Amino acid sequence: MDYEQVSIPEYDGDTYYNSYEDRYSDADMYEPPMPEIIKKFLLYFRNAINEGMVYEMQNLYENTFPKLSDQYFDKAPWPSDNEVRKIMDDDKTFLMLYKELYYRHIFARVPNGPSTRQRFGSFYNYCDLFNYIFTCETPVTLELPDQWLWELVDEFVYQFQSFTQFRSRPRKTQEEMDMLASNNEVWNVLLVLNVLHSFINKSNIKLQLEVTASGGDPDSVAGEFGRHSLYKMLGYYSMIGLLRLHSLFGDYYLAIKVLENIDMHKKNAYSSVPACHISTAYYVGFAYMMMRRYSDAIRTFSSILLYIQRTKQLFQTRSYQNDQINKQTDQMYTLLAMCLVLHPQCVDESIQQVLREKNYTDRMFKMQYGDLQEFENCFQMACPKFLSMDPAEDSVKEAVKYQTSVFMAEVKQQKMLPTIRSYLKLYTTLPINKLVTFMAQGQGQRESNEPTDDKENLTKHLLCFKHKMKNIVWNKGASGLDGSFHSGSELDFYIDRDMIHIADTKVAHRYGDFFIRKVLKFEELNRKLKSIKV
Amino acid sequence: MAEAMRRTVASLLQGIERYNPQHLSTLEQYVEVQSQENIYDLEANLAVLKIYQFHHDYNLDITVQIMLKAITNFPHSDFVLCKCLLNEKLCQEAPLSQVLTLADLLENCNFKEFWYQVHAMPELYVKVNGFLDSVRKFVCHVIGITFQSVEKHFLMELLGGVDDAVLNQWMQKYNWKAVDNKYIFVSNQDENIKTKNITEKIDYENILGVMASCR
Repeated sequence: MDYEQVSIPEYDGDTYYNSYEDRYSDADMYEPPMPEIIKKFLLYFRNAINEGMVYEMQNLYENTFPKLSDQYFDKAPWPSDNEVRKIMDDDKTFLMLYKELYYRHIFARVPNGPSTRQRFGSFYNYCDLFNYIFTCETPVTLELPDQWLWELVDEFVYQFQSFTQFRSRPRKTQEEMDMLASNNEVWNVLLVLNVLHSFINKSNIKLQLEVTASGGDPDSVAGEFGRHSLYKMLGYYSMIGLLRLHSLFGDYYLAIKVLENIDMHKKNAYSSVPACHISTAYYVGFAYMMMRRYSDAIRTFSSILLYIQRTKQLFQTRSYQNDQINKQTDQMYTLLAMCLVLHPQCVDESIQQVLREKNYTDRMFKMQYGDLQEFENCFQMACPKFLSMDPAEDSVKEAVKYQTSVFMAEVKQQKMLPTIRSYLKLYTTLPINKLVTFMAQGQGQRESNEPTDDKENLTKHLLCFKHKMKNIVWNKGASGLDGSFHSGSELDFYIDRDMIHIADTKVAHRYGDFFIRKVLKFEELNRKLKSIKV
Repeated sequence: MAEAMRRTVASLLQGIERYNPQHLSTLEQYVEVQSQENIYDLEANLAVLKIYQFHHDYNLDITVQIMLKAITNFPHSDFVLCKCLLNEKLCQEAPLSQVLTLADLLENCNFKEFWYQVHAMPELYVKVNGFLDSVRKFVCHVIGITFQSVEKHFLMELLGGVDDAVLNQWMQKYNWKAVDNKYIFVSNQDENIKTKNITEKIDYENILGVMASCR
């Protein structure tokens, strides 16, 4: 893997296009004739794109395309580009966009997933599309809805992830192995990184965000390309793409650093796509958890889960987006539950309510009682699908195993803390020796007969408690990595000679929010009643 | 010299250049400089591990130094961040495996065992200048957040069996005072660690909006 290979394979007009077409198209497959309605749809779709009708495009992209997919291509691919080319003149831009959807549909819906050829084909189509957008003197006139642009970048990273998993799969056919061996540049990690970095640079998005954060006009620094919505949004979504990519390799520091100048706590002009907003929070929260920044993880998860609770009706209709959102929501509740076991802290009442459901309370109960297997299960269910660049078979499985083991090492270090916490909660002052006795009873039998040993052991755990519960917490600053040491957990203590002094946080019930919501509901009802004409 | 190097390296870490293996020798040299001069740059070290990870080829000596440097920055979780870029097989290789054991002892605040083990392998950290003192700094951090007053003998043991003179230096650094022969006063924890009762406060401004809309 040479660094020189990073540049995107050149797109030099027809020659390149055709040569790869020969190698990787599905042209030789039998294709049923295209239904009339599909023909009409494609021609209309193309027209909408060429005319720059963004709202119409959004409708066709988000509603019509999935609907037609359900109806006509439930478990089969859409017509190949060769078929599509027959019904319209050689519109390269439309065909590249169409093929992106075509491959994406294969990845999502066709049983047994994409063939190696299709993986390659999709890769080269991305190269063509990105070259078309990059390698021009002036910005291209293309305009696409934000939802599409987000899914374009997200899918690009997803297909890289899927390819890397595929490469490490055991029992590949000879043909598959030959194709992989002779095409090193396909889905190369450096190439993928380069694409994302190039979008970020071309759009000046970092500078734009910085200026926006300080109250200025982003257009003043955007440059010719960055002012264009297509480049600006691709730049922004590429930052989120990098967040995901770095997380997949366990690089949590860089994952958070990439998002500098994006204010996670405010909705901004860029957060119009819910799936993007939610996915960002998932990876950010996960990275914080791995860094032992539990307060930050809990804040990130709670705020996005509240957002999901409040906007749930908005995206209940679109099923293909909803699947992803629902899965990530469940993962985030699980991660939040884990963080709260490790770092008990007060969270919003409506979040607490979900965590009180049987599914989560059972797991939290087990984890609190030191069930390491439960921790491991929760982690593996909720973690991202980690990747490895090791070409060996099963290296991806190893990567998941390894990240799990790093997290579990942390959990084991904290194993005694919930027990100690449960005793401390009962007192305001407690002599160390008394706690030694409690701990020994709790364990059923003493591991050692010498009380001094027990005391030494317990002091160790108490020090560990203080160390683990004092972590970096963000409070202001452009980077999510900023912050200072705080003890954010609800129970704290200090030791004076042989006496433990305990400080607890007691939170009174909050009624304000509850009543405001009821008042608003009542008002709404009142308005409706008034508008009824009898 | 170190400052100039820090700036050079920072410029190498911009954008896609960060993953360029051609910069590896400069970055590795910078790790050595960090060890010798007792300075620290997490981001540069993570970049080294990232290049190793992508090429699946780790220089064990440099990796060990990076991990030891991460220990010097306890209580920050840098060690975990670095560890996440390694892999299972590598972690079993000595002397990296020993470094991981040491870090685990520190995370558990099992200082007695840490000193016992670390004294038995002085060659492990010989390259990293100021390694033991940085661990003592971490010990003092944990003591500082835990104790109001602490037994002197216990403190000396936690610092790795230091004598009175050394103990006095650390006490001076953190402004700890001997109360009597047996105890050392650390700080007034009762000022910071107090039971909190959080009750709801609703200001007039908070409900102004609702009241206005409900006319």
